[in-house]
Amino acid sequence: MVYSSLMFIYGFLPVALLLYYLTPKRFREYVMLFESMAFCCFISLYFLLFIAAYSIVNYLFGQMIGKLKKNEKLAAIPLTIGIIFDLIMIFGFRTKYFVWLHDMLHAPEGFYPIGISFFTLSAIGTLIDTYKGRIKADMSFVRYSLYIMFFPRIIMGPLLRYGVFAKVLDSRRENLTNIGIGMSLFIKGLAKKVIAADNLYMLYSAVRSSDVSTISAANAWLGITAYLFCLYFNLSGFADMGTGIAYCFGLKLPQSFNYPLLSTRIKYFAARWQSQVIQWLRRYITKPLYSACTKKWIREIVFVGGWTLFGFWYTVSLNGVICGLIMGIALIIENYVLPEKVMKFTGIIYTFLVVILCTVFLSGDSLAFSVKYLLAMLGGNGMIADAKFFYLVKSYIVLILITMYASTSLFRNMMIRSGKAKIRSIIAVASPLIAVATLIICTALISYSGSSDMLLIYL
Amino acid sequence: MNKLNRTMSIITAVLSLTVISSLSLMSFFGKKVQWSFEENRQLAALPEPSFKEMYNGEWSEKNDRYVTDHFVGRSKWIYASNRMQEEMTESIVNGVYVSSERLLDTVIPEQDKKAFSDNISFVNSFSKEYKDTTTVYFAAIPSSTGIYGDILPSDFISRSDSQRINELYEQLSSKIRCIDAYNILKMMKDNYIFYRNDTKWTSYGAYCVYKTVIQKLGFQPTSYDKYSIEHVSDSFRGDLYNRTLSDKPKADILDIYYYPDGAEVISCERVLNDGSVSEGEIYDRSRLGSSDKYSMYLGEDVPVLKIKTSNQNEKKLLVIKDSYADCFIPFLIQHYSEIIVVSPDQLDRPLADIININDYGQTLFLFGINDLDEKISF
Repeated sequence: MVYSSLMFIYGFLPVALLLYYLTPKRFREYVMLFESMAFCCFISLYFLLFIAAYSIVNYLFGQMIGKLKKNEKLAAIPLTIGIIFDLIMIFGFRTKYFVWLHDMLHAPEGFYPIGISFFTLSAIGTLIDTYKGRIKADMSFVRYSLYIMFFPRIIMGPLLRYGVFAKVLDSRRENLTNIGIGMSLFIKGLAKKVIAADNLYMLYSAVRSSDVSTISAANAWLGITAYLFCLYFNLSGFADMGTGIAYCFGLKLPQSFNYPLLSTRIKYFAARWQSQVIQWLRRYITKPLYSACTKKWIREIVFVGGWTLFGFWYTVSLNGVICGLIMGIALIIENYVLPEKVMKFTGIIYTFLVVILCTVFLSGDSLAFSVKYLLAMLGGNGMIADAKFFYLVKSYIVLILITMYASTSLFRNMMIRSGKAKIRSIIAVASPLIAVATLIICTALISYSGSSDMLLIYL
Repeated sequence: MNKLNRTMSIITAVLSLTVISSLSLMSFFGKKVQWSFEENRQLAALPEPSFKEMYNGEWSEKNDRYVTDHFVGRSKWIYASNRMQEEMTESIVNGVYVSSERLLDTVIPEQDKKAFSDNISFVNSFSKEYKDTTTVYFAAIPSSTGIYGDILPSDFISRSDSQRINELYEQLSSKIRCIDAYNILKMMKDNYIFYRNDTKWTSYGAYCVYKTVIQKLGFQPTSYDKYSIEHVSDSFRGDLYNRTLSDKPKADILDIYYYPDGAEVISCERVLNDGSVSEGEIYDRSRLGSSDKYSMYLGEDVPVLKIKTSNQNEKKLLVIKDSYADCFIPFLIQHYSEIIVVSPDQLDRPLADIININDYGQTLFLFGINDLDEKISF
C-alpha cells in the first residue's frame, strides 16, 4: 500500500483518523503505533514481523549502550555490532549480493522492505546519539518503535532524528486547522506524484524506448530533464504526503525539499534537496571526521566523500557514487572559483547543468549507458533533433509547462507571498476549492489501476 | 497565521474530509456488481483471508484490486481520467492510441517466443499426424494496428504484424497451405474492413479474405451483390473501447450477411467440455444486449460448435480458430454439409475425445497473429 492509492486515501486514512480522534488524548500514541503496525500489515504480514523485529533488535542495542555508558570502550561494542547489523540489513535488501540473508530470514520472493534506506539511517543515528549521550537511553519502547514504523514517514518520508521526533510528539497539537493544513499538504504531494511524476515518467520512458545510440541530442535533453523533474516530484511528493498525514495527526514534521530546481548556486541546490539526509550525513559522518583532521585539503576530501555517500545511498551502485562525486567536486570548485556576486541567470543555468550531469549518472542502469547517454546529449549520434522530439514536445507541452512552473519557488511566491493583500485573500478563499478539485482529479487519475506505485528509485 | 487562513484551513479540512468519507462510505455500502459492462470483464472478488497470502502480501494486493474495482462510479472516474491523460500527455491511454478516426492497440505483445514456436510445432505435427486424411490451411489475420499502424506517431511502428505473419509462414511445414490475408486487407484498407473500436476485422474484412480462402479450399466464392446485408447494431464498441472508454471515434456497425439462395443451417450444436450438448445459433441476437456485442457471431464462446447444413455435398470442414473467425464462419457455411468450429482456449481435453478428426477432409487454422503468443494446442 502506498499513500497514492484508493485503498489508502478512501480506506485506511479516514478509518485511521476516526480511530485516532475517538481515542482519549493520553492513549493516542498507542493508537498511532497500532495504526502504523496495521499499515505495515497491509504491505504484508512478513513486513510487519520484519520491521517489528528490527525495532526490537535496535532498541535492545540502544539499551545495552545505555547500561554500559559509564565505560566508553565497553559501550562501543554494542554500538559497533548494532551499526554493522543495520548496514547488513540495508545492503542485504538493497543489493542482490545477499541472497543468503533472504533465505536465512525466510523472506517471501521479491520481498523489499519499503523505506529501508530511511529507517536504517534513523536506527544508526539513534544508536550513535545514545552512545554520545545526546539522548537518554531510557526511552520508551513504544516511542522508539513508533519512530521506526511511523506510517506517515515510512515510505520515503522525511528522515529525522529521534530527538526531533520525540520533541514533535511532545508538542502534538490536534485541531481542525492542523487537519486542514495537513490535508492541503497531502493533496499537494498527491498531485506531485500522480499528475506530475507519473506523466513525466511516461515522457522519460518514451525517450528511453529508443536505443541509446539513436537518440537525438534534443531528445536526450528532453528525456533527462523529464527524469530530473520526475525524481523531484516523486521524492518531494511522497515527503509532502507523509508530512501532510502527520499534520492531520497533529504532528509537525520538517520539510525535506525547498524548491531546489531553480537555485542560483549549486550550494543552494545542495541545501534544498532532500536536506534531512544530507544533514544526517553531516552530523554522523563528515562532521566527526572534520574534527579529526586539521588540514584543509583533507577536509575537502571528506566533504566530497560525504556527497559520494549520498549518491551511493540513492542507487547503491557505481553510478550513484559518480553522481555524488560530481556534486561534491562541483561544490568545492564553486566555492573557490565563483566570485561573491554572480548574475542570477548565469547561476541558474550552470547549477542546472551540473544537476543534469549528476542526473545522467543517477538515471543510468550502468556506467557505460550513462556515458553513451551523455554523448547522445552532446549530439554524438549525429542528430540535433528528430521527428520524435517534436512529437513528444507537442504531446507533452502542457505537462512540461505546468511542472516547470510548479517546481520553482515562483509558484509558492504567487501563492503566499504576493504583495497585495487582496490577491492573498482571494487565493486563501479559493484554496479549499482548489484542494478538493485537485483531490478529485488525482482520484480520477489513479482510478484505473487503483494506485500509482511507480517509485523510480527504491529507497 | 492570520484569521482568514485559519478559517480557510478549517474549511479545507471539513470539505476534503467530507469528500473522502462520503466517497468511501458510498464505495463501502454501495451495491457491488460482479461484471463491468463498460470494461467487459469480471470484477475482482473480495479475497478470503488466508495466512499464507497475508504473510507474503498477496492478500493486500487482492484487497487493493477489490477496492479499486468496486470504487464508487469506477467507469466515470476512468472516463474522466483518460480524457485528462489525452490532454496532458500523448494520446495513449492504457496502451491504446486514441484518435477521432479510430482506436489502435500500441502494446507490443510480450513476444513469447516459446509459446509462438510451440504453436508452430503443434500445427506442423497436426498436419503430419493427419496427412493422409486432411489438408491443412492456415490463415493468420493481422490486427487493426497491423493495417492502420501508419497513423501512429513515429516511434510505434516498430511493431509489424506482416513481419510476424511472414515469420510464421516460413516456419510452417510446406504441406500446409498458407493464406496471405495481410496483403488482401492492406489493399482494401480504405474500406470498412476493421472496427474502429476493436482490434478485429469487420464482416466485410472477413468477406474479402473469404473470397481467397474459399478458392483455395476448392469452391467458387459467392459474389458480394448476392448477399442481403442487415445492420443489426450501430453502437458496437469493442475491446479497445473497454480499455480506454473513449468515445472519440464513432461506434461501429455489426452486419449480418444473408445469402438467400445458399444452403440453410439445419442444426447448430454447442458442445461443452463435459460432453453436454445444447442448441446454439449462428447469429445470437440476444448477445447484442450484452457487454460483448461481437459475441453475437456464433454466440458465446464454446469449446466445440457443430454446424450442419442442408448442403448435400458431404464435405466436412474443421476450423480451429480464435475470435477473429466468429464473423468469418458464416461465409463458409453454404459450401459444406458440416463444419466443426473448435476454440482451443476453451477446450480442456484432447480434441480427438470429442470428434474423429479423420472425418474431416479439410482443416482451417484461423488466428489473429497476436493471439499466437498464447498456447493454441489441445
